[in-house]
Formats: sequence, structure tokens, C-alpha cells
Amino acid sequence: MFRPLPRASGYFRTDYADEIALIQTRGERVTLIVFALALVALPFMASPFLLDLACQVLLASIGALSLMLLTGYAGQISLGHAGLIAAGAFTTGILSREINAPFWVTLPASALTGIVLGLIFGLPSLRLRGLYLAVSTLALHFIVIYLGGEYETKRGFSTGITVEKPRIAGIALNDGRIWYFILLAFAVGSLLICINLLRSRSGRAWRAIHAKETVAEALGIGVAAYKLLAFVISSAMTCVAGCLFAYYRGFVSIEAFDLFLSIQYVAMIIIGGMGSLLGALLGAAFVTVFPYVIENLLKLLPNAKSLAGDIFAVNYASFGVVMILFLILEPLGLVGIWRRMQNYFLLWPFKKKPLAGARK
Amino acid sequence: MNAPLLQVDKIEVVYKRVITAVQGVTLAVPDKQIVALLGTNGAGKTTTLRAISGFLGIDDARVTEGSIAFQGARLENRPPHEIAGRGVVLVPEREKVFPNLTVAENLIAPVPRAASAAEHRRQEEIVFHFFPRLADLRARIGGLLSGGERQMLAIAGALMCRPQLLLIDELSLGLAPLVVGELSQRLTTIRNELGIAILLVEQSAATALEIADYAYVMENGRIVLDGDRARLKGHQDVQEFYLGQSGGTGGERRSYRDVKQYRRSRRWYG
Amino acid sequence: MQLFVNIVVLASIYALIACGYVLIYRVSRVLNLAHGELMMLGAYAVLATASLFSGHPAMALAAAVVLSLVVGVLVYVFLMRKMTGEMALAAILTTVALGILIRGVVLLVWSAQQQYPAQALALPNPSLMLPGGAYISLWSAALVGTNLAVYGALFGFLRFGRWGMRMRAAGQNPLLAAQRGINLHRVYALAWSLSTLTGALAGILMALDSGLTATMPVIGLKAFPAALVGGLDSLVGALFGALIVAAAEVLLIYYVDPLLSDVVPFLVLIAMLVVRPWGLFGTREELDRV
Repeated sequence: MFRPLPRASGYFRTDYADEIALIQTRGERVTLIVFALALVALPFMASPFLLDLACQVLLASIGALSLMLLTGYAGQISLGHAGLIAAGAFTTGILSREINAPFWVTLPASALTGIVLGLIFGLPSLRLRGLYLAVSTLALHFIVIYLGGEYETKRGFSTGITVEKPRIAGIALNDGRIWYFILLAFAVGSLLICINLLRSRSGRAWRAIHAKETVAEALGIGVAAYKLLAFVISSAMTCVAGCLFAYYRGFVSIEAFDLFLSIQYVAMIIIGGMGSLLGALLGAAFVTVFPYVIENLLKLLPNAKSLAGDIFAVNYASFGVVMILFLILEPLGLVGIWRRMQNYFLLWPFKKKPLAGARK
Repeated sequence: MNAPLLQVDKIEVVYKRVITAVQGVTLAVPDKQIVALLGTNGAGKTTTLRAISGFLGIDDARVTEGSIAFQGARLENRPPHEIAGRGVVLVPEREKVFPNLTVAENLIAPVPRAASAAEHRRQEEIVFHFFPRLADLRARIGGLLSGGERQMLAIAGALMCRPQLLLIDELSLGLAPLVVGELSQRLTTIRNELGIAILLVEQSAATALEIADYAYVMENGRIVLDGDRARLKGHQDVQEFYLGQSGGTGGERRSYRDVKQYRRSRRWYG
Repeated sequence: MQLFVNIVVLASIYALIACGYVLIYRVSRVLNLAHGELMMLGAYAVLATASLFSGHPAMALAAAVVLSLVVGVLVYVFLMRKMTGEMALAAILTTVALGILIRGVVLLVWSAQQQYPAQALALPNPSLMLPGGAYISLWSAALVGTNLAVYGALFGFLRFGRWGMRMRAAGQNPLLAAQRGINLHRVYALAWSLSTLTGALAGILMALDSGLTATMPVIGLKAFPAALVGGLDSLVGALFGALIVAAAEVLLIYYVDPLLSDVVPFLVLIAMLVVRPWGLFGTREELDRV
């Protein structure tokens, strides 16, 4: 959506591999290496609390990336994200509880649930657009939540299902650091999948459908197939995230997957910036860290003790305020702010791109 | 020479804060005159009209430089309903009527400036005087009108606001030549009887130059030529590029065999 | 017979809430997902005004209603106005964020406890006996009556009132309406205030009838399928939609499973979206527009 102006000059490509390489400039390479080193070093230097926070961010970013794929790029608005995460988590919970399935069964099973649900959630998109599609995903979310609730009550897990940690070679994976690397691997994997999808034919098809669906159809893009593909891939990724969530938390309960969670994911892609994978990551980090920031800010207030019980309400209210601020003031999100800063320095001393066809 | 009714002075219109659509445009509409704004697609004519009549948030566009003065009052970047209240009313190119209201309701909905209900009724009579066909169609739903009738209703709706300056975007688009001719004549009659000025944007230079007293030509967001009717009709470049007449001799149509492969660049300084 | 009465009461609740959705959508093409929360705010306002006007329940109620009207205008002027012209998703999400904000504020000010405005106002809620052996509480009956009155007033206003006509015009073609001198912001503010008013009426009457908790917005969300089933820009449709959804809910709860109550409206919604997305009486062009 908000494309950065070209930044690199003087880089000459000498073969095709250079053209499609992910990292184009030396600057990008250096940044990436530094960032990777920081990520790898984190678990060895951070407190357990920070480690947990980082894990939460990674978990959220998988969901955010899948939603960005669906809504930011393919343009199919989905308000039912929490339902999909719940489905993945519940698949894992049910399978590991009922038949003691190991993780290398539950993980693909969650993905499979995601594929099936993706088809169901995606079917309305063949007929509906925009607001009506959003509403249909909302309705499906409630239906999924209802089914989960039914399972809980009917099978006696009224407080939720406990899920044991997965075992590799008999050793339970309990260490926070191991989980960090597992989640990091999954997050990086999702990111690479998304990047590659978007650079391929599917990505171009989705962008075309997002821009002008009728024209895309007229150009021979199988709109229905690609819409379903977007839903299916996104839902599969989300259900896998749900599975990881179940294992990480060790506990699955339907109350954790309310409408507010769906809204949080949508907020992630809006606050991060629609139409940008970087935006999904930034948004995921922002929304995940936000409650903790608010909590700490609250502790600084003089009457902290009395407000401690209302932390939930304060969280709610401040989340609403921040979301409104972003929607009104910076609809392009954090990525928009970042790009605007970049463009300012690039275009300086000019302010705007010149008039097309000027000075012939 | 009085000050012109509308004076647009070196305006620059920017979309989405980065795309300049119109630059350095200066034009004037004197009182009681019909002024035409000519140009091909994408020249910036509609943008100029929208700049005068007011943008809505939908376009994320702003007049970033220059000024638009109507009877001395500055109009740029004001909301459309305020500008309409001052007497500058636009007949848009698309979506020019309320499709689900009847013709009668279409004429009641506009909010005229400083008018009581009785004056509103009188204005309605005036409008039906110019467009008798609409009186027969009073109960017809707006969206079901034919193209010509819809254009008539659009102009009538604009007249209900009691304008002093009427802006018309693409009068002839999609209409049969006979209907266009009739509408052009009506416009001249309206101008004569009501004493209002008209700024007419037209792709069809022939139609516009029939009724305009003065005309401007726009290309790529800039005004490249202006003059009164005679000057424009006689200008070589206008003849060749806008009126479809061959250069030099004028009035004849060229055979394709004679057209050279290169595009003769327009010499606007002649 | 009692089933029938229950259906009528629930349908009235849904209809009164649904007309709020329809009003705003029809005029400004915005889906106000904060309607449930605004409705709740109106009901909580009664608690506040009850202490102000203790001993004069009619005054307290009237004050709460006027307050909600003002809140509707304020919400538009300070928040939604900035969103005119932005894409639909952004406006909807703004309302969602507003809803979240209101929920947080309500919890902070009044806590999550169950409240009883009827007690605060010292108003009784007797059960009235109806022919056929059915019972209806006083405030439920008041709700049914208010619903009909509100719909009658709205129909008249939109059809015959000058500003009602302008509201309809702004709904069809906002740009043209602005160019014809109609002050869009005024029209939208009017729509928002009317919507909040009807929502508050629903919320207050429900709270007087069965108490008030911070989970009231759920009912607001359940009423949304009623609006959509009838057609998001049709008031008549909202009435029919409410009847259909209420009937489905009451009957399914009674004959199948009480737990279904929260999900039935959305089942009806999905069914409608599959069969006829623009609802029973909605204008179809919305979906075919490219």
C-alpha cells in the first residue's frame, strides 16, 4: 500500500539469482545479521519475564502474519480470527486429551482443521465483499466458539483442558528457552512462507483481487480459487498458531478466545500497517506488549493500590483509546510512520514527488 | 471592467499529499458569461472543478497553493455545502441525481441559500419552466430516467440552490448529439434569463465552443491556451487536436494516408 | 401462548436496537458496532440521574434519554466525523474501538456488579396477566409499545420530513448531497443522535425490566443479525428481521437447547448471507457496485 521510494543505487545485478534474492543491498544484509544475532542472544540475556513476553510476541506474530496475508494483501476482511486460534488450540487439546496424541500428530491435525475451517470461512467470500464478508466471519467465529463451549460442558472440562507439553525422545519440553527457539523457528518459517507467497503468482493474484476484483476476473485470474486459497492458507497458519498456543500455555479454555482477541489481531494489522509484513510484526509486538506497559504505567500513579483491581478495565479502555488514535491519526500504522520518516530524508529538500509529464 | 465573478489564481491541487494533479492554473469567469474548460482525459479539468466546488474527505485532496475567490470571498478548501451556500453549485459528471428519490423529491432535497418555502416553490416553477419535460416526470424515480432526462434533472437540482455560478462537468458525455444540442441551447437560455455565469468543462470542444464566450485549454494539469471563441476556433492546434480538422487549410478532414507517423508537438504560443 | 409473548417481547428488544444500526448505516454507510455499548451507557446513565433526581423517576428517565442524545452527537462530532470518507473497514473498526473504550470506562466507574435501576428509581415491575394465561412484565410491555411508537415516528420522519428526505438523500449520494447544500455533518450527527436515542430507550427499558450488568452489549450484538436479515438500510426490514431472529431464538431454546441462545442469531445471519445477502428489504446495489 505505502510503497517505500527506491533507496539503493549503484547495485548492478549480473545474474538472475541476484534479481530474486531476498536481500538486495549490503545495508540490508548487515541489518539482518545484527538483528538475527540479537534474536538468538536474547534468551541468554533476558529475565524469564521478558523471555515469556518475547515468546508471546512470536506467537502473536504468526497469527498476525496470517491475518495480514488475508486482510492486508488479499483484501478479505476477517473478524473471526480468534475462532480459528480456538479451533487450533481445541484440536490440540481434544486430541491430546482424548487419545493422547503426540505433537507430531496434533500439529498436522491442527493444520488440517485450519484447512477445513478455511474453506468454510472462505465460502462466503465468494459471494460477499467488504462489510458483509466481515460480518459473516464474525458469525462463524461465534459458531466456532459455541461449539468449543459445547464440547467443554458436555465433556466435563468446564474449567478448560490441560495440555501436556510435547515430548521429544521422552523428554518433556519445559524450558522457556527451548520454547523461545521453537516459536522463533515457527515465526521465521511463517514469515518466509508469507514472503514467498507474496512474491509468487498467488501474491500477485491476491493484490489484484484486493485492488479491483472485477478487473482481476476479467484478466483471467481465478478469483474464487485464489480467495479460497488465501482463506485456507491463512486459517491453516492460524490454527497452527493455536496449536502452539495450547502447548505453550499448557491450558485451553474457551473464554480465552473471545471477540476481544479477534479485535486484538485486527488491531495488530491496523496498528502495524496494512499491506506490509513488517507491519504485522510491529503490530503484533505493540499489541502484545501494550497491556504490560499499561500495567507498569499504572503502578507509577499515586493511587496505584486502589486501581489494581481495575487493571482489566483500564486495559480495555486504554486499548480502545490507542486503537482510535491510530485509526484517526495514522491509518497507515507504524509502518506508515516509518516510511514517512524514510521518505522525508530521501526526498529532502523536496517535499513531494513532481508532477507527472512535467517539463517535456 | 468589473472584477470577475470567479477568480482562480495559480492553484495547485495535491492528492494524497504526494500526487500533484493541477499546477499553476489561473482562470476567471466574468459575470453572466459562459466559460469553457477544454482538454482530454486526465487533463485536470474535473479536479479544477472539484477544487472550486469543494472536496470531500473521500479524495484526500487539497488546494495547496493559490487561491479561489468568488465575489471576493475565498473558497478554497471549504466544504462543499458551504460553497453551494455561497452560490457556486456543481453538476457532477457521474452520480448526478439521487437515484432512489423521485424527481419531485430530488428537487426538494437541495438546501437553497436563504430561501423560505414559498421561494423554494417559486424556484421549482422556474426550473419547470426551463425543463418542462421534468414536470411530466415528477413521480418518476431518479435512477430510472434516461440519460438526457437525468442531465436535465441534474441541472434542475443545481438550479434549485439558486446559484450565481453554475459549474457543469461533462455536459455531453454519453448523450445523443440532438440531446446535447438541445441542452446547450437551454443553458444559453438559462444564462440569459437568470443572469448566472456558467463554467463548463467539456471534452467535446465543438459543443463547448458553440456556446462559450471564452475558453481555456488544459493539458497535464496546466492551462496551455486561453482566448475567446473566435481565437480558439481559429487556432491551428485547437483545430488539429481538439476539433479534428486538418492543420493549415482548416475545415477538411485528413486522410490517414497523409498522417505522418510522428506526433506534431503542440505549439501553444501561436 | 407464553412462547408467543416471549417472542413478541424479544422481537421488540431486537427491533428497537436494530433500528439504531439501520439509521446510521442508511445515512452514512457506517456499521456502528459500538451500538450495544452506547445502549449500555444510556442504561447506566439512569443510575447516575437516579441519584440526581431521587424521588422524580420520570425526570431521571427523561434526563438519561436526553443525555444519550447528547452523547450520540458528541460521538459523531469528536470521533466519527474524522472518519467520513475513509474506507468502510476503518470506520467500523473505529466504532469497535469506541465500544471497547466505553466498556472499560463503564467497568471503571460502575464496576461489574449487577445493578437494579428499577430499585434505584423506586419503580415497581409487576407482572401483568394476558389472555391465554401468559404473563408479561410491565416494563416489557412498555418496551413493546415504545418500539411501535419509535418505528411509527421514524417512518413518518424519513418519508415526509424535510430533513428526513435529506437524510435519505445523503445516504444515497453523499457527495451530491453536499454539493446541493446539505450539510453532511449535520445530517450524520442527526442520525447518530437518533440512533443513540433509540438504543438508550431499549437499554433503559431492559434494565428496568431485568437489571443491568456490564454484559448488556452482547444483546446489542445479537440484535445486529436482525438488522442485517431485514436489510441494513431498511427500517421495515429491521422489524421483520427482529421477528424472525426472535422467533428462531425462542423456539430453538425451548425445543432444542438453552445454550443455543447466544448463537442462534448468528446462525440465522449466516443462513441469510448465504441465501440473500442484502436482506429481505435491503437495496441490492450495495453489493454489485464495483
